[in-house]
Amino acid sequence: MQIPIERYELDNGLKVVLSEDHSTPVVALNIWYDVGSRNELPGKTGLAHLFEHMMFQGTVHVPGTNHIAHVERVGGSLNASTYLDRTNYYDTVPSDRLELVLWLESDRLGFFLPALTQEKLDLQRDVVKNERRQRVDNQPYGDWDERLQALLYPPDHPYHHPVIGSMADLDAASLDDVADFFRTYYAPDNGVLTLCGDFDPDEARRLIERWFGPIPRGPGVPPIPGRPVLEPFKLGREVRETRGGVPLPRVYLAWRVPAYGTRDYYVGDVASELLAGGKSARLYRSLVRERRMARGIAAFLLPVVTGASSLIARGNVPDGEDPAVLERAMRDEVARLASGDITAAEVERAVTGIEARHLFDLQKVNERADQISQLTTFFDDPGLINTELDHYRAITADDVRTFAAEYLTDDNLVVLTYIADGQEAGS
Amino acid sequence: MSAVDRALAPPRGPLRPFRFPPVHRRRLANGVNLLVAEMHSFPVVTVDVVFDAGGLTENREHAGVAAITTALLESGAGEMDADEIAERVDGLGISLDSGVSWDTGQSGFTCLRARLEPAFGVLADILRRPTFPEREVERARDERMATIQQRRGTPSTLADEAESRWVFAPGSSFGRPLGGLLRTVAEVSRDAVAAFHAARYRPAGATLVAAGDVTADEVQALAERWFGDWEGAPDPVAPADVRPRLDRTTIIVVDRPGSVQSEIRVGHVGIERAAPDYFAVSVLNAILGGTFSSRMNLNLRERLGYTYGASSSFASRRQPGLFTMSTAVQTEVTAHSVSEMLREMRELQHEPVTGAELDDARNFLAGVFPLGLQTTDGVASKLSTIVTYGLPDDYYDGYRDGLLSVTAAEVQEAARRRLWPDRAAVVIVGDAEKIRGELEALDVGPVQVVGAEEMEA
Repeated sequence: MQIPIERYELDNGLKVVLSEDHSTPVVALNIWYDVGSRNELPGKTGLAHLFEHMMFQGTVHVPGTNHIAHVERVGGSLNASTYLDRTNYYDTVPSDRLELVLWLESDRLGFFLPALTQEKLDLQRDVVKNERRQRVDNQPYGDWDERLQALLYPPDHPYHHPVIGSMADLDAASLDDVADFFRTYYAPDNGVLTLCGDFDPDEARRLIERWFGPIPRGPGVPPIPGRPVLEPFKLGREVRETRGGVPLPRVYLAWRVPAYGTRDYYVGDVASELLAGGKSARLYRSLVRERRMARGIAAFLLPVVTGASSLIARGNVPDGEDPAVLERAMRDEVARLASGDITAAEVERAVTGIEARHLFDLQKVNERADQISQLTTFFDDPGLINTELDHYRAITADDVRTFAAEYLTDDNLVVLTYIADGQEAGS
Repeated sequence: MSAVDRALAPPRGPLRPFRFPPVHRRRLANGVNLLVAEMHSFPVVTVDVVFDAGGLTENREHAGVAAITTALLESGAGEMDADEIAERVDGLGISLDSGVSWDTGQSGFTCLRARLEPAFGVLADILRRPTFPEREVERARDERMATIQQRRGTPSTLADEAESRWVFAPGSSFGRPLGGLLRTVAEVSRDAVAAFHAARYRPAGATLVAAGDVTADEVQALAERWFGDWEGAPDPVAPADVRPRLDRTTIIVVDRPGSVQSEIRVGHVGIERAAPDYFAVSVLNAILGGTFSSRMNLNLRERLGYTYGASSSFASRRQPGLFTMSTAVQTEVTAHSVSEMLREMRELQHEPVTGAELDDARNFLAGVFPLGLQTTDGVASKLSTIVTYGLPDDYYDGYRDGLLSVTAAEVQEAARRRLWPDRAAVVIVGDAEKIRGELEALDVGPVQVVGAEEMEA
């Protein structure tokens, strides 16, 4: 299975990747801008995401929420998302509507500022504050990622604060903040545009040049604020926090691990798969099925690139039981990875699962486009979509042992415990 | 900056034809139906076996047994224990998925084409020869109860559960959650699970659907080999009671002190999937709350800033299911949001939608249809829909035309028949002390305050 890739650049620095596939008459357009919450300054948390909302509030030629109406009325779907390292905007439409979405996305990049008003900002501030209430403040465990980020990364690290931001910072965001943010980060030379699906490549090049070509380069992006490089890399101690107000107790364990794209990251991915990838994985088999100490288990790595990623394991504690017991058992299982009883067959199973899911996911043009944009933004190498899995095939049981002994240690660990109402916090 | 005229939307490009892949139907001697759709762009196949083993077929005292049975299929089968099944499944890179709806129980997988044969073998084992070890039954029961507690401790899912409870008549299966209540799940024994499996997971009338890089002949050969000598038929099932619980609009506040938002549901009995006005209702729903540009979302989110989003849906089943409008708003604007939602319903009944709204909604629904057909599991789920609701095999060939031919008059007729602003269950999960007074002042109907423990009643 080879995904076709054509990469080129416009004169204004916009990186473009074309990936043809005519099996369904749809086309996915996906743009990644190299800006996320990591680029926010102190006191301005949540600005990258609030800005993403503003991008749906109208431009010079596409007023109000017409961008969305245009895409929906031709039978397309669209959205955007903001994360630690990046912001993406994406539209999937019937293939005869390719030029429509090029017009819409280019107008956001070239003709946004004159349409910006205080009224629009105030409205989206309310919407985003309600998004925060819905996802975080009124949601049991809703602040888990916010708390882990704060505990895993020091205050001067770009990942210390949450993507959605604090209510106080959202209240303080001004029209100037939004306009400055746009001028600084939203430029063709800070973006990657991927088209995936049913289009003619020559025609696509012509249309992309027509709509994006005239937009001028940006002023250049300032360095990421704070201190992205962690020295020393590991936490150096165990950090704990306990929170309440949830229906059933829950334990999160998180370790700092090397960033996405490093060889060790892929080894860590296999380690997380061994722990909780399927029902033959260690945490599931031992803690959920055999000992019934957990009502559910998960483990995953975050694909982030600024200084360090994290490997996170989550266990749901049975009603009324002491979370410390599950915490101990999870830590023992993780420690066993380093002690050396991993088999080659186990690693083989984990890699097989990763490979199969990768292929299942790539069936959708929008998923393929998003992955291509990611690989181009982070590594300037869209062809990795065809070769990234080679990393996994080379990983041995020894590699996983070494990784666990190096990173999944007690002096590099954050423990976040949620206790149910009426429970006592353990030691 | 640019020589191109940006003021107008660019014209559309050349139209590309689209059609649903041809559906091949076969039948095995023991009564298993086969439905196959070929897709050859990725070396991937999805197979699902659909049984008449949904929530409606369970005994009320054991509500939850249907869901627990599907969860236990991988817990031991034939000679294999749970760990051996897991090792086989993970070793083959199979994504195995069993689930239950009100109308069906189904189990299946997505796999690489090269592993189709062994994947069929695993599926045949877990469907035909599950062993239901006692310890695994206990575990599945405990996990189901934890899920129920978790859902009741989460405002959005608590609101969903309460909504069904107040929409359907007391005692109706549809009034309880599909996975059962704490008190009924506690009664699910190993014997109950084994009996449910023996009664409902039978080949006669079951359908195996397959989509992906495979031919109908290949599927037939595999099905013959793995399922051809299986015998038995399930008993017919009594339908659900789909009478409404309320005779007038009523507000039910599920008290959750300290909530910074109110989760709101406004709903009532909806329509069955095979209803003649299904397309008109789909267009109606798109206009009301089925898209970002819908009336509800543009009003509550983009005009008022009350919420992160507002939507509506008709969950159609073999029988009339649930119609719900949903949103989560900051506490202070709860009452106003409710009155806006009821107003939106009435407006659609009293005034025909505009030509532009109608066009947009029809084109949206017809246009997004192919997006769901890029994956093998997307196509397989459409085949399951054909099977479950008794739709013709060529149903999806005419699907887009059916949507595109809906008229404004039909939408208004659907609104008058299918929206009940005067008989709606308005469920709100929020801080009762803060919102009760203003909800009473709305004067849309009686207001009652209950606790989450009411869900066990």
